Amino acid sequence: MIPIRCMSCGKPVSAYFDEFQARKAEGENPKDVFEDMNIKRYCCRRMFITHVEVWE
Amino acid sequence: MEIEVKEKNDNEMVFILDDVDVAFANAIRRIGMMEVPKIAIEYVNIIKNDSVMFNEVLAHRLGLIPIVSDIEAIESLIPNEECDCKDDAGNTDGYCSKCSVSFTLTKNTPGVVYSGDLNSNDPKIKPVYDMIPILKLKEDQEVELEAVAIVGRGKDHAKWMPTTVCTYKQYPVITFNDEKELSNDVVEVCPNDILKLNKNTKKPEVQNIENCTLCRSCVRASENDAIDVGYEKNKIIFKIETDGSMTPKEVLLKACDVLNSKADKFIEFF
Repeated sequence: MIPIRCMSCGKPVSAYFDEFQARKAEGENPKDVFEDMNIKRYCCRRMFITHVEVWE
Repeated sequence: MEIEVKEKNDNEMVFILDDVDVAFANAIRRIGMMEVPKIAIEYVNIIKNDSVMFNEVLAHRLGLIPIVSDIEAIESLIPNEECDCKDDAGNTDGYCSKCSVSFTLTKNTPGVVYSGDLNSNDPKIKPVYDMIPILKLKEDQEVELEAVAIVGRGKDHAKWMPTTVCTYKQYPVITFNDEKELSNDVVEVCPNDILKLNKNTKKPEVQNIENCTLCRSCVRASENDAIDVGYEKNKIIFKIETDGSMTPKEVLLKACDVLNSKADKFIEFF
């Protein structure tokens, strides 16, 4: 499960995770998705791009 | 003191303070992070948890979910530590309906359980985001719990911090020394594109100075002091970003209230 908040700044990133994954699966460029969702800092962005789901 | 708002939306605000001390801005920043009251889940009574997530991990995740804490919501609850529901033995744990909001979560269907599944007993006080995944359930698994949210402060736990980013910087000033030759490398080296080459004069020009982070990459690249990056001592760019539980304006006004009430203690004393 993705952490609720960004570990560095505390932004509640998990609220956008489902949307991010869905849009990435459709072939959108992750950078554009981040800019669209107004996730600007690299601390928050790494929460998405480095997340590995191990709970199956 | 002059204030100019540069950017403002639901959970982000950038403004410029002119003619103000760093100490004052820092006081507002620290109070904005640490002493502005906010609502967060503090107690979790887990009745059933069949999922593979441990109870304490689940409770921690619930605590971090931002909960609507605007002025109206905060004022409808009395601070937990001041509530008379505590026993005389000095036990600081405990809560009642006057100082807390209760959420129930029951789910027995497979799939992801989201923050939107939390049922609040106060329709105004609810999670800010409905799409925060809390845990996953498989076939024949069930979760049933009661979560109790109280008013707290950031100095006790980060879950009560209303701000994610609450920061200031001094207003940057870039000066050129016209007597010396300025290499055009400074344009390429600037990470925030503050410096731009003017096509007519073939000289670098400053644009969007407020985005300058005072990194001094341009000073190092020029090597001959033809450019200098400094700051205005009493002009401050202040940025507040909240987790959505309240607006930046409410955080700022409440921070001023808290600072005021601290100063009032001196006035009352003397």
